[in-house]
Amino acid sequence: MIAALKRPSGFLPVILIGLLILYPILASDTRYEESVLIICMLYAIMASGWNLISGLAGYVSLGHSVYLYMGMYTGAILGKAWEIDAMWLAPLGAVTAGLLALVVGLIVLRTRSHSFVIITIAVLLLGMLVAANWRGLTGGSDGFIVKQPSWAKDNPTTPYYYIFLGILLLTVALSAFIMRSRLGAGLVAIRNDEGKAASIGINTTLYKVTAYTLSAVPFGFAGAVYGQFLGFVTPSLVVAILMSVFLVLAALVGGRGTLWGPVIGGFLVWLLNEVGTIAAGEFRARLLIMGVVLILVVMFMPMGLLPTIRNFVKKRRESKSAVNFIDQKSIAAVSDVDISKIIARTRQQSEGSSHILEVKGIVKRFGGVTAVNDVDMAIERGSITGLIGPNGSGKTTLFNCMTGTFRPDEGVVLLDGENITRDRVWTRAHDGLGRTFQITRLFKSMTVLDNLVAPLETTSVRQMVAGRYSGDEVERAREVLDFMGLAQFEKQDAAALSFGQQKLVELAQVLMLRPGIILLDEPASGINPTLIEKLATVIRRLNDAGTTVLIVEHNIPLVLSLCDTVHVLSGGEVLTSGTPDQIRNDPQVIEAYLGPDHMVGVGNE
Amino acid sequence: MSESVLTMANIEAGYGGGLVLQGVDLTVDKGTITCIVGPNGAGKSTVFRVISGLLKPKGGTVTFGGRDIGGLSPSEVLKSGIAQVPQNRALFPEMSVHENVLMGGYAIRRDRALLKERLAMVAEMVPLVKERAKEHAGNLSGGQRRMVEIGRALMLDPAVVLMDEPSLGLDPKSVATVASVIRDMAAEGRTVLMIEQNVRLGMNLATHGVVMEQGKVRLIGDAKDIADNPEVASMYLGKTGHNA
Amino acid sequence: MDLLQVIAFGVLLGGVYALLASGVTLIFGVLDVVNVAQGSFLVFSALFTWQIWSLLGLEPLLLVPVMGLLMFVIGWAIYRGLLVRVAPQGPGMTVLLMFGVAIAMEGVLNIVFGNEFKSVTPPYFTSSFKIGEIVIPYPQMISGVLAVVVLGGIYVYLRKSWAGRALRASAQNKDGAALVGISATKASSLAFGIGAMTAGVGGVLLAIMYPVYPATQYDWIARLLGIIVLGGMGSIPGAIIASMLLGISESIASAYVPQWAPVFFYGAILVILLFRPHGLLGEKTREDVAA
Repeated sequence: MIAALKRPSGFLPVILIGLLILYPILASDTRYEESVLIICMLYAIMASGWNLISGLAGYVSLGHSVYLYMGMYTGAILGKAWEIDAMWLAPLGAVTAGLLALVVGLIVLRTRSHSFVIITIAVLLLGMLVAANWRGLTGGSDGFIVKQPSWAKDNPTTPYYYIFLGILLLTVALSAFIMRSRLGAGLVAIRNDEGKAASIGINTTLYKVTAYTLSAVPFGFAGAVYGQFLGFVTPSLVVAILMSVFLVLAALVGGRGTLWGPVIGGFLVWLLNEVGTIAAGEFRARLLIMGVVLILVVMFMPMGLLPTIRNFVKKRRESKSAVNFIDQKSIAAVSDVDISKIIARTRQQSEGSSHILEVKGIVKRFGGVTAVNDVDMAIERGSITGLIGPNGSGKTTLFNCMTGTFRPDEGVVLLDGENITRDRVWTRAHDGLGRTFQITRLFKSMTVLDNLVAPLETTSVRQMVAGRYSGDEVERAREVLDFMGLAQFEKQDAAALSFGQQKLVELAQVLMLRPGIILLDEPASGINPTLIEKLATVIRRLNDAGTTVLIVEHNIPLVLSLCDTVHVLSGGEVLTSGTPDQIRNDPQVIEAYLGPDHMVGVGNE
Repeated sequence: MSESVLTMANIEAGYGGGLVLQGVDLTVDKGTITCIVGPNGAGKSTVFRVISGLLKPKGGTVTFGGRDIGGLSPSEVLKSGIAQVPQNRALFPEMSVHENVLMGGYAIRRDRALLKERLAMVAEMVPLVKERAKEHAGNLSGGQRRMVEIGRALMLDPAVVLMDEPSLGLDPKSVATVASVIRDMAAEGRTVLMIEQNVRLGMNLATHGVVMEQGKVRLIGDAKDIADNPEVASMYLGKTGHNA
Repeated sequence: MDLLQVIAFGVLLGGVYALLASGVTLIFGVLDVVNVAQGSFLVFSALFTWQIWSLLGLEPLLLVPVMGLLMFVIGWAIYRGLLVRVAPQGPGMTVLLMFGVAIAMEGVLNIVFGNEFKSVTPPYFTSSFKIGEIVIPYPQMISGVLAVVVLGGIYVYLRKSWAGRALRASAQNKDGAALVGISATKASSLAFGIGAMTAGVGGVLLAIMYPVYPATQYDWIARLLGIIVLGGMGSIPGAIIASMLLGISESIASAYVPQWAPVFFYGAILVILLFRPHGLLGEKTREDVAA
């Protein structure tokens, strides 16, 4: 009991749901209260649905009420045609809303941030306009009367009350399921850093469209019932927009991205609205109140109620308990575990080509500047290869063409002999190409362990619905952390680590893909010499276990001591390639780095 | 005896918790071209950020013309006579070349006569800004853009011009043009402090050289001596001695 | 109706749209904020115009500078008081903040003016004149011409004045602007003020053209957002072209297929975005040239 009290997130929902179930039974003459609570639950349902795309994945939609209308019309139109009560068509409403969302999602998810928000509004307007104008189907702006079943004459609220409570619980269950699944983890990864998520094998397009589609399902389901509860369906643009804003406000107040936040927010916002309406005696004042609340929430509590309380509790607890200092030195050790098993590729690699990665004739221009100009390069399987060159030589651009961040203007990229030039970033990750970033891009809101289980080696439905910690990922993640000497950081938030530690964790994260080749983008920049040494050890161990490594680096001594082959870029072209010794003594390389001895044409002395 | 115009004494500065600059002492003499070289991460750019007021030092002093400028805001530093030509694209792409240069005089916008005078001065030093006055800055080549950036920086008639990798991404011919403008500026009595990755190019152009390594000034002296110093090569290629 | 006539209507309407959309575009360009409260600013100004006109019987057009100035001050204050603090939290939150402002403002207008249509009907309200075969009502003519005049004024201001140059500079390259000594806060509050000012002027014009009530703000949000998405976020020429397209297509559609007019517009936006995710004149987000 005491433990439960300390963790309000665990037991509060149970009590509240219990109260909701018992309320109509225990209290009498509750018709008004029930009808208010029904709308509260409707907003809780919508806010929870919205939370799947906008809370988890961070794509803020301001047009989601269109899916409620989709459900309302589905129930009303088909209910009339088939002569059954609209509410029985709720599952069909969920399907039509989901289908509409799927089609819309494929379009609107091509855009991001500002454009996405605006387009979701445009979709809502378009939907409402179609509803208002397609008289034959929707009854136009006069709308539809939805027939009430006979039982509603005796008690028009209590049955609906329980139906909505049921839908709410189903919606929460759906949310909980998604949040615990790979899909949920992937969505949070997308919110944190979409480009990074793609680089560790998350099919971001599929994930976003799936989340968007699923987010519409509770709307459609509840819509069919809501239409019947109201008794009519009319397309009112103002109502639809306000509904969208209210449900966003609900999710925002409660806490985006949390399971119960949107539910709590739904109740809070609608109750507040009701109080406002009673206090001011009319509709007019509630707009003002809601507007002001929205402004205040955005300004002073942007995270929402639940996360704010959680942080507060966490801080108080932390201030009481002694802070756990991390021993900086202990991470210098690399353990002796056998890693060949951890990182060996499970799938067969085509051993046909001795070059694991090859680029031919790569050209990449930015505006008028040719950053990479007709570069050929082949990376020997099982080698450690270096790619160096002065600033502006085009090596990072070439690197980005290999990883798929950029698409080259000309030329091809071959991985295991297969043309991957046009492959998406996540497909390359599936095919065994892993990469790290110069400035680490870990998912900062996640723990180290969650960061490590996030990478995906394939894209499949089964995997999306699988639990976030199912399979052997956790075990493998621990082995990888062990190998890197990072085991003690498992439960730390990635943001709490030092930059150097983050670099090692990012490498560990990439190892979870079991990559055949790892591309390291300036792994040594910004970290201290002890960690550089450790990094070198890790790279050698990985290479001994069969992993090919390509390093782009400014720390020339490191590259020359580590690599078998070094390619030097200058002015967007390959200047020379060779062994470290050849490179070290190549006059051209010295010139590229130190400049020509006598500059022709510089100055007019 | 040369007169120092800009001095850093025991500067410590960094981002977040760490210190990138760990006690930098640096004196720049008036009318010189001083070039800072050093491997990536040595703190060259951080020196510029401290001078231009973008980064407040955690310790030490920056003196310019006898005045402590350590705590000034970037626009105050600019008005005091230190202009900067950054490494990245800094022009307004949809404005004409003329307007871009004119914007350099934003701080003196109320004095029309002075503006006119400065525009004439810049046009003389950087003829390109007159030749291409009407063209959109976004349509210029990299070298031309760099020249316009220099022209813009000159609008406030700065005593010191900070140049971050002026040769970066430019073809040899453009590098030569930029180099000649840099020399012209020095000949007029301005002081140029520049960062250059390309050591020999920098030292050929500069009169004085500064070598930085790991947040400290490692060597300072005549450009020719720096260029011939064997240690400099080792810093880049990780070998001891100059045995090429 | 004669096609030429319809197009003339469309162009005049497009001029009003262009004025309002330029305000939204300017704010977006300099601040990176989507001002969804522009519609409520517009309605606010229109209803105030109605109030003053019905109290004093003043010629409403005299209120153009007054409402412009008033909205400038309000916009400036909203930036300094609210936006400046929320801006670091990114686009999602600034949009929600501006939605809060829009709803709160609508609430205030509801309380003050009630939820009925209000029309400003100066003597020339119903008169019209002819150019050849084309009949143009005075209110439309005046609004369209005045909108273009104000828009022209803003254009000249942005081109020729130092403050205007500073705004354009901030919109084009924030680092570069800081480098020449332009204060980001000053530029932003000025941009927001001017953006709101266009709504102040537009509100007076709206009042003599159409009946207004508080909830009409949603129609305007919709149109304006559609225009700036279609034109390419942040591009003023794009916004003007999109405004004309909307004005003319709305005018044509309402002459021939009145019910479906707006559907075409929003449908067209979706289709265009499918092929050009950055709008008609939108710049592709520039990937940093990796050094």
